[in-house]
Amino acid sequence: MGRDQIVVGLEIGTSKVCVVVGETRGDGTIRILGVGQAPSRGVRKGEIVDFETAGKCIREALVDAEEKSDVMIGSVYLGVTGSHIYGFNNRGAVSIPEERDEICEEDFEDVQASAREVSIPAPNMFVHSILQHYYVDGQDGVLNPIGMCGRKLEADFHIIHGVATRIKNSVRCVKEVGPEVLDVVFNPLAAAQVVLDQNQKGLGAIVVDMGGGTTDYIIYVDGAVKQSGSLAIGGDHITNDISLGLRIPMAKAERLKVEEGSVILGNSRPGETITLKDETGFAGKEIEREMLNTIIHCRVRETFELLKKQLDEETFLHFLGAGMLLTGGCSLLKGINHLAEEVLGLPVHLTHAQTVSGLTSAFENPQFSTAIGLIKYAEAMQPDRPRGLFDRIRRRIPFLGLW
Amino acid sequence: MKIQRNQASAPQHEVRIKIAGLGGAGCNVLDRLLLDGMPDADLVAINTDAQALAGSVLSQKVQLGRGTTRGLGAGGDPELGYAAAEESLSDLRSAIEGAQIVFLCVGLGGGTGSGGARILASLAREQKALVVTFATLPFGFEGKRRRAQADEALAAVQRYSDVVIHFENDRMGDAVAPLAGIQEAFVSADQTLSQSIRALASLVRQRGLVSVGFDEIVTALRGATESGAHCVFGYGEAAGDNRAHDALAAALKNPLMDKGRMLEDARNLLVNVAGGPSMTLNEVQILMEELNRHISDQTRLLFGAAVNPALGQRMSVTILSALTSDAPALVEVVPRIVPRAESAPVAREVAPRIPEPAPLAPAPAPEIAAEAEPPPVVALREVAPEAAPAPEPVSLFPEATPEPAQPAPSAKPVQKSKPVQAKQEQMQFEPVTRGRFEKSEPTIVDGQDLDVPTFLRRNVKVK
Repeated sequence: MGRDQIVVGLEIGTSKVCVVVGETRGDGTIRILGVGQAPSRGVRKGEIVDFETAGKCIREALVDAEEKSDVMIGSVYLGVTGSHIYGFNNRGAVSIPEERDEICEEDFEDVQASAREVSIPAPNMFVHSILQHYYVDGQDGVLNPIGMCGRKLEADFHIIHGVATRIKNSVRCVKEVGPEVLDVVFNPLAAAQVVLDQNQKGLGAIVVDMGGGTTDYIIYVDGAVKQSGSLAIGGDHITNDISLGLRIPMAKAERLKVEEGSVILGNSRPGETITLKDETGFAGKEIEREMLNTIIHCRVRETFELLKKQLDEETFLHFLGAGMLLTGGCSLLKGINHLAEEVLGLPVHLTHAQTVSGLTSAFENPQFSTAIGLIKYAEAMQPDRPRGLFDRIRRRIPFLGLW
Repeated sequence: MKIQRNQASAPQHEVRIKIAGLGGAGCNVLDRLLLDGMPDADLVAINTDAQALAGSVLSQKVQLGRGTTRGLGAGGDPELGYAAAEESLSDLRSAIEGAQIVFLCVGLGGGTGSGGARILASLAREQKALVVTFATLPFGFEGKRRRAQADEALAAVQRYSDVVIHFENDRMGDAVAPLAGIQEAFVSADQTLSQSIRALASLVRQRGLVSVGFDEIVTALRGATESGAHCVFGYGEAAGDNRAHDALAAALKNPLMDKGRMLEDARNLLVNVAGGPSMTLNEVQILMEELNRHISDQTRLLFGAAVNPALGQRMSVTILSALTSDAPALVEVVPRIVPRAESAPVAREVAPRIPEPAPLAPAPAPEIAAEAEPPPVVALREVAPEAAPAPEPVSLFPEATPEPAQPAPSAKPVQKSKPVQAKQEQMQFEPVTRGRFEKSEPTIVDGQDLDVPTFLRRNVKVK
């Protein structure tokens, strides 16, 4: 394989399956070669509920991507999400044996293993353990302890875990379609790779990816992942609310949300209506704009409030210098940034994948942030490309410093 | 009272209606009325501000208080407005002379309107005219003081009016949309007012197939004189094949109607349908059936229909009602029953304003005596001395006339208020719906099923 390498990111979203084919270059930049997507079926709240149907959608998206990028897809990086995925912080510690006073690579493995010696629920598996900081003999802020002298090496990790069978289901579903899964990545972690730059990670930022089925978030403080999680509420819920509230079919509700929806209240004339034309099987309807917005507003506000509640347990919310970066399909809703600002009390920016080149239409769309992020993630992992899902964990350790 | 009988029984006799606009707001409304076309109406603009008066398009104008204000405005001071009106008493009297019905249009809260309204109303009553007052109450942003002045003036003018139709400017402002300019908000308030004047005037005048008498109008608007109450008015006109439906839709589109949702709470509803000679019975039926869907079973419907050749191919519908906020019926019924004893003429003035239904049988004597003491003083101070004696006896009749019918309609709402509440509660008992998430794993946070629409869980009213 040459320096330029083709990497494929696959995200099985609730609303769409998205495949991004990118080229990682020696200088660390990414070029998007093609994007394939297919409307998603058999996926609810970010998780596969209908194996066969989801498989078909994945195949469709892969074929679409292959056609558009003119690349044969043999392996993919898979993004996963779902409310079963949790993140927490833990510190691992190892003592350096007496006979050697220098910290070397194998100690890293030990310290991570030690950090993982916590009880996670039995059916769960580790998805990521991301290094935050090292401490050597209690000394704070060590970036790279290799070669340093010390008796005790400690390290803080952010550990992300989820239900093993559910994650394996996603992997199996992809494998049955064809391509090998090189790695699974928690969606917001991937999205953060392209949404945040190094500076923002240092300042502190929260990336919120509001997708179709879930709202995922990840928080960076001092350049390291501090907190992450997933809320099983997304655009699908908004559409469902509209459909139930206005008594219109889901497809109409979805279109209404995308084309007319806004989370800002009191911005429409009283009695201002949107006319849904009648067509076969649908009698046509006049929808009051304020009503539509009220339904959307209620749901989105609640989502942010739940998010805030989860974050309030941590005190660092006020120290996020770069504020909140909102991405994902729902970030396209009108006025959502203002509502988020109001609820969370943080500056909010709508954003999309930043540090890539190629198809502008692809990376400027917040819907593709995660899939593009998967490529960036892979690029960061590249020098030691793991071969399989369970193999990768051990191999990643020397490169954890990236996060 | 006599006049009123004439209204009901002899519609062939043309009623002389005088429409007076008092103060800046009142004159604005009348200007609009004239500009929008009000045929054969007798309009008069009355103001302290000579400059504003000069700008009015009306032909008949009365300037108040040449000496008191020297042609300037009353400066938002009701006392000054009152003094100015008092100074020009004879001008006012001659302005409304000979009218059988006086429509008094006034914006309360300022100086001229708040101060002069009661004088004008009492003068009209002195001339044995029916007084219908159209009042607007100031916007919330105009400040509490203005609001207090308006409330005080409203209470005063109510005493001398047979009907007071008052509109909250805030409601109308809401109606325009938050984005609209302030001018638009004021204009829309004017418009609503002028529309309702026009509608009411034509109602009184029209020779109907099913004619609406003035007493019915009074009944429809009964309750509007209480605090917290407001009037609901809608007018729609349409032509074409589907004109019955379109006219009603247009009437319900009036912001004060809230798309007809407001009507559910109305006890008395006056509906007048007018159309050109081509109007069919079927059309009226369609219209009324449709309207019936918006009102509750308890609502008393006062219906009028008329053929007006001037409407040509068009059909128009006017809906008028008063909505009272809470437990209004008691306030209505009790005072009317008590003063009927005719024994305490002073108490009559006070009684309608006693909020409690308590003084029913033996108790009233001490209570009324105690309550009755201060108002006459107020009345004397407020009303021009020569006017004071006249209005009092008159004030009895128009209000007392519909009394026989009174117990029936006002008793109903008391019963009605319960079914309405029960209906709202039912909302919560509706089975929870999860829509497309019906079969998926529920997302439960803090005991709430997040798959159920937020607006349902939070009881946000949609529809």
